[in-house]
Amino acid sequence: MTIAIDDKGARPGLPSANQITGPTPGQQLRKRIFGHYGLLIGAGILGLIFLMALSAPFLAPHDPYAQSLLARVKPPVWLGGSWENMLGTDVLGRDYLSRLMYGAQISLLIGFAAAFISGVIGTAMGVAAGYFGGKVDLVVTFLITVRLSMPVVLVALAVVALVGGSLEVVIAVLGLLLWDRYAVVMRSATMQIRQMDYVASARAVGCSTSRILLTEIMPNIVNNLIVVATLEMAHAILLEAALSFLGMGVQPPLPSWGLMVAEGKDYILFEPWLITIPGVALFMMVLAINLMGDGIRDVTAPENRN
Amino acid sequence: MKRILTAVTAAALTIGASGTAIAGKAEDTLNIVWERELENVDSYFNTAREGIIVNRMTWDNLLYRDPQTMDYVPLIAKSYEWVDDTTLKFELKEGLTFHNGEKLDADDVVFTYNWVADPANGVKTQQNVSWIDSAEKLGPYSVQINLKEPFPAALEFVSGAIPIYPEEYYTEVGPDGMGLKPVGSGPYMISNVEPGREIVWKKFDDYMKDSPKGQPQIGTIIQRTIPERNTQIAELLAGKADWMWRVPADQADRLSSSGKVTIVNEQTFRIGYITLDSSGVTGDTPLKDVRVRQAINYAIDREAIVEALVRGKSEVVNAACFPSQFGCTDDVTTYEYDPEKAKALLAEAGYPDGFSIDFYAYRNRDYAEAMMGFLGEAGIKANLNYLKYATLRDKIRAKEVPMGFMTWGSYSINDVSAITSHFFKHGSDDLALDDKVKALLDRGDTTVDSAVREAAYKEALQIIADQAYWVPLWSYNTNYAFSNDLNFTPSADEIPRFFTASWK
Amino acid sequence: MLIYTIKRFFLAILVALTVSVITFSLNQLSGDPAIAMAGETASDSDIEYIRKLYGFDRPVHEQYLSWVARAAQGDLGQSFYFRIPVTDLLAERLPVSMILGVSAITFAIVLSVPLGVLAAMRPNSWLDRFALGLSVVGQAMPSFWLALMLIVLLGVMFPILPMTGSDSWQNFVMPTIVLGYYATPAIMRLTRAGMLEVLGSDYIRTARAKGLKRHTILFKHALRNAVIPVVSLAAVQFGFMLGGSIVIESIFALHGAGYLAWESIGRLDLPVVQAIVLVFSLFYIVLTFLSDLLNAWLDPRIRVS
Repeated sequence: MTIAIDDKGARPGLPSANQITGPTPGQQLRKRIFGHYGLLIGAGILGLIFLMALSAPFLAPHDPYAQSLLARVKPPVWLGGSWENMLGTDVLGRDYLSRLMYGAQISLLIGFAAAFISGVIGTAMGVAAGYFGGKVDLVVTFLITVRLSMPVVLVALAVVALVGGSLEVVIAVLGLLLWDRYAVVMRSATMQIRQMDYVASARAVGCSTSRILLTEIMPNIVNNLIVVATLEMAHAILLEAALSFLGMGVQPPLPSWGLMVAEGKDYILFEPWLITIPGVALFMMVLAINLMGDGIRDVTAPENRN
Repeated sequence: MKRILTAVTAAALTIGASGTAIAGKAEDTLNIVWERELENVDSYFNTAREGIIVNRMTWDNLLYRDPQTMDYVPLIAKSYEWVDDTTLKFELKEGLTFHNGEKLDADDVVFTYNWVADPANGVKTQQNVSWIDSAEKLGPYSVQINLKEPFPAALEFVSGAIPIYPEEYYTEVGPDGMGLKPVGSGPYMISNVEPGREIVWKKFDDYMKDSPKGQPQIGTIIQRTIPERNTQIAELLAGKADWMWRVPADQADRLSSSGKVTIVNEQTFRIGYITLDSSGVTGDTPLKDVRVRQAINYAIDREAIVEALVRGKSEVVNAACFPSQFGCTDDVTTYEYDPEKAKALLAEAGYPDGFSIDFYAYRNRDYAEAMMGFLGEAGIKANLNYLKYATLRDKIRAKEVPMGFMTWGSYSINDVSAITSHFFKHGSDDLALDDKVKALLDRGDTTVDSAVREAAYKEALQIIADQAYWVPLWSYNTNYAFSNDLNFTPSADEIPRFFTASWK
Repeated sequence: MLIYTIKRFFLAILVALTVSVITFSLNQLSGDPAIAMAGETASDSDIEYIRKLYGFDRPVHEQYLSWVARAAQGDLGQSFYFRIPVTDLLAERLPVSMILGVSAITFAIVLSVPLGVLAAMRPNSWLDRFALGLSVVGQAMPSFWLALMLIVLLGVMFPILPMTGSDSWQNFVMPTIVLGYYATPAIMRLTRAGMLEVLGSDYIRTARAKGLKRHTILFKHALRNAVIPVVSLAAVQFGFMLGGSIVIESIFALHGAGYLAWESIGRLDLPVVQAIVLVFSLFYIVLTFLSDLLNAWLDPRIRVS
């Protein structure tokens, strides 16, 4: 995560629409997936984080909200702490491991929800612009330009500061913030597909627009969609952490990883593990999602790998 | 990689900070840092505590409140006298000058008081000056100040919020000029201001010789604004800064045990409290029931929070005021931590399973979280809304906050009227709207008879405690961290006085 | 080229106007600015007085029109907090952000373009993997953490650089590294991808077949084409750096415009927030306008489509 919040660019490695090719035989695909280390590592780490999030209610050693002011800032076990609180306790004496496990839920939720909302908005706009072209395209392109030219992070901060942050507000703001990349990619992908013969023939046969969009266009751009979605998910998670750092993110006591990093900030010079533990977790999650995204792109568009 | 760097950090803090801290002393320059961008050095146009620090250094008032004894002693004035309830008379010292050489006499005092008293001039904190009717010159060194009505706390403001400005200079440059090139008569003169970023003071060699403030010792004082506290600490350890304040308790402990810098803890006038909407102006909440409010009081273990988090010289407070303030008494109904009683009261009020409520805060997120933890144990689910101060204040005034964790510093005024009267006289911050309390406070605020005042305030504070309009929490403290080369003594009014500081 | 320029220009104007409307509407979100201005102890009549004085009681569209009219003349109003004209404040704070932005983007380009080119020349080599690793770390590491580590390292342990302020070039070294590093991954990976694409294209193969020298192919033919998207991205990145460096500015006490905007949000000092959002937007609009022209010049195909 980073605080120099980025809303324009810095989403490297995004596929351009011309990177997709026709469908690949399943076997070949499987071979490629298992030959792709990045994808495997990413999927592995992400799987673990998922497991951690899902199993939190059963496996977490303590209640993540139960505070104990007499047992605060206990170091993790390798720095002289006890096994009772393996990763130590936070500023209010809450078990750090339990908070980390529950925090995985929150961070994943934010990532998924924000990527989903922005995905719906951006895809709708992009596909409409790409398929219909003309005035629709003009309007969408204009909206994208306006969106890109605003320092949206400042605007979002102002809005959250005035409205007050909460899980819902953060998801909504991020969802409304991150649609531009979907729109750009979906627009050019749709434009390309639209010119394909099978779309033209579907139209000639008299298929309805909605049917063409759903059965001809969507299946062929879904690869791009998944890649953008993974990267936007990572992006959303980092932005939430940045918002939390500025005190404008998820509200305590919800243990989002970003918030845990933010709460450890004052201790960075003297109790650095308070920030390192959730920081590393966040780092791994973002890394895994990015590896997944890159991997999916490579696997579905193999000629672009080298 | 992080692990390695973590180890490096720890090593660096102990190795790197050795022995470099002489830079300030060698150059006779005290480098102070704080977090806040001061909006304007003209103290009539800022509301920050840092503004009060600048004010005391750069300007003198008619009187001075001794921070140890809390007595009012002569400063620009040689003597003062209450002629009657609404008339104050001052005799001034002779031979004083401002930093620019302008003579300081009755004209300057009369000008300053009349200028600030005029609302059209827009002094930012009107409460500081709204009690003044007018000032008259009785002689070249004699002044009379007329009050609008009896105002027992007047001397607090005479000695605090109303510095004397040079008439000729101020008439010429106005507030904007004063903000950029300030001229006063205090122990230090400002030689450079970069708004919000830096202020540079030089010792004023012609400063009043018998000033109760003492004589300035250090040649140059440079203030810089560093927003990030970790950076402040790093600068302090590297000897680039000689003084910082408001170090959090945990970090202060670590700094103190390192021995590289001196840490001193001192009380402040600030207290924390939770305001509860007992009148229902923010909507129909369970807080309208006095038993619920009492339950909240019982549910929070303030003692534990003070011991674990607030620490230092802080203490639990039980009345809606700071204990040393005139009129304040701790002899009111108190609510010791008792979760069982809290639950019983909630059940009695019809909430055996508790309830859920919006809880607002703007600072000390950890304290707020700890309180939410305790409330949760009693069955009250507090949903935190953590906002910026300005936003929260507006929300309170717009009656949107049923329950808020707030603090109040009383502007370091040692009188209950600066806090209890501010909040419980049906003003925009009042959620209790209790007519009886207002009447009592009005009585206390408008007489100079100490006994009558004390009795009135005590009764008001008792009602506030009985009705549990607030949850009074604790007093705040400040950790000052400074170079081992520096002699610096903080005071309980939280106004660092650098004119009393010196090098060892 | 002329028609293209004119078209782009009108688009830029239209975007600028839309942005100004959105910027202005921030005002409407914020509750009552008069309360914020009046300060902690203001009475209701003080607030009313301020409301009238600053025209907060007038209809919204009137307020907007007068705001735009004044902004067009370079008058962005008065800061509620500092009581000085916003333009004065920006004149003091913007240059700091500009210097930081320019040096950070320069740092990022100098670091990442060569690395991207090298990585593309030897895909899947250790160099490629190193570049990938560097970019992944850059993306996922908290910038405040890197900033504080640098402060501890170069300010406290080996005191060779000033930690705070903006008086000399040394003050900008650490912030530049931190902010620049954050922009590195995007530029590097885009350079790499662009180079890969170009190197695999027909005309490079043709050039190779013709027996042109390797570095001629690389620099004259490949890089020129690969750099086109990088120009756009750099412009975008620069715009973001001006606005997104809030925390870096606050850690290094740089007192730039990003930090000012963030503080002003907290103080409800809306004229300042609006002015900064507007100035940043305009800046970005101008930058993209210029980078569009530059791209059109680099790649004639763009002009036609």
